[in-house]
Amino acid sequence: MKNVTLIATLFVTIALLPAFTGCAHKPVAPTPIPNMSQRPAPTPTPGPQGPGPGEIVTPTPQPQVSTEPTPLDYGKFAGLFAGPHNEDRDKFKADTIHFDFDSSTIKPSEEPMLQDLANYFKNNDRFEGLVIEGNCDERGTEKYNLSLGERRALAAREYLGNLGVNVERIKTVTYGKSRPVDPGHNEAAWKQNRRDEFVLVTQK
Amino acid sequence: MKTLGTSILAALLLGIGSPRAGADDVIVIQKAAAHLVKVSISGLSGEAESVVAFDLSVLGMEITSPESAEFAVTGHDNGRIEGSLTPAGAAHPVWVRAYAGGDTRAQAHAFANDIIKDIRQTPPIFPGKIAFRQQQGNSAEICVSDFDGHDPVVVTHDGTLVGGPCWIPGSRGLLYTSWKSGDTEILNHNLGTGTRSVFAHYPGANLSPEVSPDGQQVAMILSKGGSPNLWVAGIDGTGLRQLTRTRDEDSSSCWSPDSRDICFVCHSGRAQLLVISASGGPARTIPVAGVYGNLTSPDWSPDGKWIAFTSGSGNFTICVAPAGGGPAQKLVAGEDPCWAPNSRTIIFSRRANNKQTLCLLDVPTKHVKDVRQLSGSCSEPSWAR
Repeated sequence: MKNVTLIATLFVTIALLPAFTGCAHKPVAPTPIPNMSQRPAPTPTPGPQGPGPGEIVTPTPQPQVSTEPTPLDYGKFAGLFAGPHNEDRDKFKADTIHFDFDSSTIKPSEEPMLQDLANYFKNNDRFEGLVIEGNCDERGTEKYNLSLGERRALAAREYLGNLGVNVERIKTVTYGKSRPVDPGHNEAAWKQNRRDEFVLVTQK
Repeated sequence: MKTLGTSILAALLLGIGSPRAGADDVIVIQKAAAHLVKVSISGLSGEAESVVAFDLSVLGMEITSPESAEFAVTGHDNGRIEGSLTPAGAAHPVWVRAYAGGDTRAQAHAFANDIIKDIRQTPPIFPGKIAFRQQQGNSAEICVSDFDGHDPVVVTHDGTLVGGPCWIPGSRGLLYTSWKSGDTEILNHNLGTGTRSVFAHYPGANLSPEVSPDGQQVAMILSKGGSPNLWVAGIDGTGLRQLTRTRDEDSSSCWSPDSRDICFVCHSGRAQLLVISASGGPARTIPVAGVYGNLTSPDWSPDGKWIAFTSGSGNFTICVAPAGGGPAQKLVAGEDPCWAPNSRTIIFSRRANNKQTLCLLDVPTKHVKDVRQLSGSCSEPSWAR
């Protein structure tokens, strides 16, 4: 009986742990190289590290992908977004990216479109901005889809930021399921509707 | 059923609710709650009859002929309604009342309230006001009507997207999310004066406002911290504080009746229901058993005992679970439940004929009554409590 109580307590504790930690995610730490137990794990720094004599070569660290939300701030571009401006929906129409059901993860297949956007903004310092519009298919309740659409827009913003675009130039707007491109009630329609659209904003 | 009817009669005559009600009386009430009560209506016609019939139906009563009724409702309308309630087999009515003042609808609602108070032992809720989103084509407006769809008034005219209206308790006002600025912003709309002010327009998304039952605070979803998370501010917009800081997005919240806790949805893996203190601290999951997939759009019953919510993705189901966690009951197809003040009736929406329509659910009997057909696609109902 005593053992059963102990095991039951352990199960309860384990089961409750997620409840106490909520749904927080920790940033992924760099993986130490095997058989390097004598050395501390290398701190990733931008750019390649040249090997010195006798030093073990560490692989070039990938750009550290931010997993922490960063506050939204438009900086000097706030005036661009708030004031009179032109919106061009055609310029980046071909760069519309799509998502899997119920997901805000940027898929590898969508990375070329984001690279295209990054190239545009990194190579100009005109007073221009980008609005990312997040959208969902109809298979979520209204408020749930509004948040998911915003998360999808922010995911693209984060990705562009990691590619070197100044995120002050990027605004997000969610439309939830209210702006479908295909009003159908089938997988083909839903696939088209789960998307981020990109709108170029220029000063009037 | 006849035995149950007799038990209800006995309960009525004993005056359930008196301090000396015993365990047997509680069993009778619980069984009675889930029982679709047969009621006949005689002597009324036109609007008086249709209002009484609708209201009783919303509380899980079936209108039948006098021969098969467990209760007979009789009335007389000659400018003011006089009505009585007689259990089947009884020689005399339990009461006879007259309703003066107001129009026919108001009197009929008052008559129905009295009938419901005796048969269901629940507080009166008719008439009640609802606010909801009414979409036609690509644009939506906020509409206010009686709970049954009577007297609809469109209160916005922005010709853009708008949604998620919630009442400000103790005032004739609404908060809702509007796209009219090009961003999502939360507006405070005084229905008495017709004036609006911006409640929240921070960088990013400003979504899904919910006012606490004491009217003092507003919970909402803001993404200004970098992710859509749960924030709280005073009803005047001051004292803004962030309650959750997760990368996983949060959506839709509801307040406990004592205005101290907030139940909200966190999309961590799947969408789950969490509870957090409005003054901050850790969030804990509400352990809901028996439903799988995404659990969204919660609403806390005014008596504090239940959380109603939507389960599913596409094929949505209205569910109810104990507020502290436990087994969920799947009730009917539909989404976005909102409790009436009696903690028994829920208004929700469901898709029919390729648009959303509003419906009223009697939780114990699972009886559904459609709100009067309104134009456009009507969704996201909020009952003024």
